[in-house]
Amino acid sequence: MNPTEIAENASAPPILIRGVSEPRLEVHKFRAGAVVGASFLALVLQAFVPAHVWKGELVGDLIELPLLVTLYFGLSRRNPSRGLLLGMVIGMAQDGLSGANPIGLFGIAKTMVGYLASTIGAKLDVEHPVSRMVLAFAFFHLHNLVCVFTRRWLLAQAAPLMSVRVLVASLVAALLAWPLFALLDKLRQDED
Amino acid sequence: MFEIATRRRPYILLAVSLVFQILLLAVQVRRPDGARLIRVWAVELLTPAERAGSWVMDMVRGGWTGYVSLFRANRDNQKLRQQLGELTMRTSELEGRAAEAQRLAGLLEFREAHADAPMLAARVIGGDAGAGRAIYLDRGERDGVQPNMGVITPQGVVGKVLEVYSATSQVLLLTDKNSGAGALLANSRTQGAARGSGGPLLQLDYVSNDQEVAAGERVLTSGMDRIFPKDLPLGIVMETRPGNPFKQIQVRPAARLDQLEEVLILIDRKQWDWEPKAAAAPETNPAPRIPGAKTAESATASRGPAAERRSSAPADGEAKAKP
Repeated sequence: MNPTEIAENASAPPILIRGVSEPRLEVHKFRAGAVVGASFLALVLQAFVPAHVWKGELVGDLIELPLLVTLYFGLSRRNPSRGLLLGMVIGMAQDGLSGANPIGLFGIAKTMVGYLASTIGAKLDVEHPVSRMVLAFAFFHLHNLVCVFTRRWLLAQAAPLMSVRVLVASLVAALLAWPLFALLDKLRQDED
Repeated sequence: MFEIATRRRPYILLAVSLVFQILLLAVQVRRPDGARLIRVWAVELLTPAERAGSWVMDMVRGGWTGYVSLFRANRDNQKLRQQLGELTMRTSELEGRAAEAQRLAGLLEFREAHADAPMLAARVIGGDAGAGRAIYLDRGERDGVQPNMGVITPQGVVGKVLEVYSATSQVLLLTDKNSGAGALLANSRTQGAARGSGGPLLQLDYVSNDQEVAAGERVLTSGMDRIFPKDLPLGIVMETRPGNPFKQIQVRPAARLDQLEEVLILIDRKQWDWEPKAAAAPETNPAPRIPGAKTAESATASRGPAAERRSSAPADGEAKAKP
């Protein structure tokens, strides 16, 4: 795929794509309903596991499937507008399903994640498993950082910036990103 | 323009989505006091604007009331000042009338208390521009006023009529240097002559040095001048000191000669009984009741114990001379 095709497929501002110095970077397209389905499944699992699986609360506390899905599609589609919109929708849906959080808490965080992931994905090669794990680890902390500041500044709630749970959860996210992203790669249309 | 908007679309979209979610959060979240965060934000956001608007409105209103509408305030001010002046004059007029009514009531009361004494009320219409020891009354010859008639007030003797014109008359006050009246001390009944000194006080002459005169003793008319009836209040002794050949006695006039407005003219010089309440002699020195010229007995009887003591000495001498 040449740079012109990349720009057409990305449906992003041409200047942004022309500014990409790596013509080898591809904008991946996915099967119809793949993004919606994967996002929906991640949300359902995130809400189902803590309630119906043994030790589900612990698992649900350590695993952030909606975050990983947002990160993956942001990195893969490399369109900041789509990435932030997807992050916003997934985050607000997660807030709605959690019941404990006001709607918008995860939405703000995942909007930022979707936007930054799409921006980074348009500039870097994120296909390598190690880079994906590193990105998952970093974005988890970014997500946590935005949530903490939102809780502190907007909700006036006490929230620790760093804890063992957060560290473990970020490592779990990094480890989980490897197989999950590989699984989601199967949904790419251009690889058929 | 469209190109710029397209290029900036991710940023705009990011900002819009973040603002939307922040507002959504603010709508849901409540403060500990129960107020929604969106309401708190709205108040904090709008309060400065409202404050600025209020300040502007206050400035406009202050400018209007303080400057634009001042022409009305100036007009009202002038009107109120005029009303204030009128009311002040009216108040002064009423106060003057009230004081005049009070004085006239005093005159009337005095007049009624001495209904047998023919008196004529007169109003002071002017004073002497020179020494200020004469006044002019609004009564004259056609009212029956004649020269040398006595002029009094309920407080005491004022003076005597000096000149008479058709409708006015000039009164020489007691304090004039050329004025005088027969006088006697109320306690000792010692007779003398009160004359004006040109100042505010009178001089009581012809009282011997051995006569005890105390400050505060009342001085009455003696009736010997044939102008004033006997025992009219003339004044009060202010100061006494020995003199040569007679004691020098300063007397303050009983009537306020500097505040005269209404007076009474004694149009008949008959010796009428005088028993004013204010000038009534003490029981120890009763005033004489016999009208007409005094006899030696009555004079002696009316001079009190001291006079009796003085008059008793020659009597004793006579008694001793007689076998």
